Amino acid sequence: MTKKIISLSLVFGLSMLVRSSASWACAVCWGGDTGPTADAYNSSVLFLMTAPYAVMGSIAAWLFYTYRRSAATREKSEGVEPLVHLTWNPEESGR
Amino acid sequence: MARDSTARKLDETPALRGAKRPGFGGGRPPPPVRPNIPFASNLWLAVLMLLGAEAMFFAGLIGAFLVFRIANPVWPPPFQPRLPIEVTGVNTVILLASAITIRLGLKAIQRGDRSRLVRLLSWTAAAGAVFLSIQGFEWFRLLHFGLTLSSSIYGGLFYTIIGCHAVHVFGALIWLLVVWQRARTGTYTRQNYVGLQTCSMYWVFVVALWPLLYGLVYLY
Repeated sequence: MTKKIISLSLVFGLSMLVRSSASWACAVCWGGDTGPTADAYNSSVLFLMTAPYAVMGSIAAWLFYTYRRSAATREKSEGVEPLVHLTWNPEESGR
Repeated sequence: MARDSTARKLDETPALRGAKRPGFGGGRPPPPVRPNIPFASNLWLAVLMLLGAEAMFFAGLIGAFLVFRIANPVWPPPFQPRLPIEVTGVNTVILLASAITIRLGLKAIQRGDRSRLVRLLSWTAAAGAVFLSIQGFEWFRLLHFGLTLSSSIYGGLFYTIIGCHAVHVFGALIWLLVVWQRARTGTYTRQNYVGLQTCSMYWVFVVALWPLLYGLVYLY
């Protein structure tokens, strides 16, 4: 079974080499890698590559900012002592 | 039952009978118990995810625009009507002002000032309606001058990008009117205003998107 898969993959890969023009990843790259069309695609690809990072970064920054602001507001409004006092303190326990 | 008996046995162990019992917390009073309030509501998080998806949607449209714009040194193409830059610039200022009014409304309800909130939401909705009216009027003029969705790639891109934004403003306006009605009936209080907050997030998103689209489609 494994031999069959490997041989089929090799045949498929070799056929792609023979008919390379049909196996181009981008169907509109016929214009070559220079010129205004190529520049346009490059700029667009760069923009779309950065977009997810910008969006996810903005969401993460917003969450972080909201969390910090919420924690600061809660501490200020309640005047609560830190939670560390809930832990067992051997000095104060008298043991 | 079995657990209780085991505990009693341990308590009565001769080795522990004379030992000093452990104390917890010393002499300090216990700190007050804080309710486990999440820092953000589920609705807030859902709208945040929606905004991320919307941003990616518009990123796709902008990517398509960049391909055609950069590939064509002459833009707008010949024999195509020019876009109304000045009127849309004024419209941009009106829309940006609406983001300020809705943020001020949010601040007003945080102080408990409900009447000011209703007034500011009215101003926001009015600004959004004016923006959409001017856009619609300009669209009719452009259609009259021959710029249609199928006239050229220029027209197709213009109506797709600007039209998608206009649909988003329209949806945000309907949401805003619902929030305005709820604010009038006193739904939002100083402690509970998450519906208003999420509407404000969405409105500010569509407003903040507009200068980018205006700069790309009208000025670039």
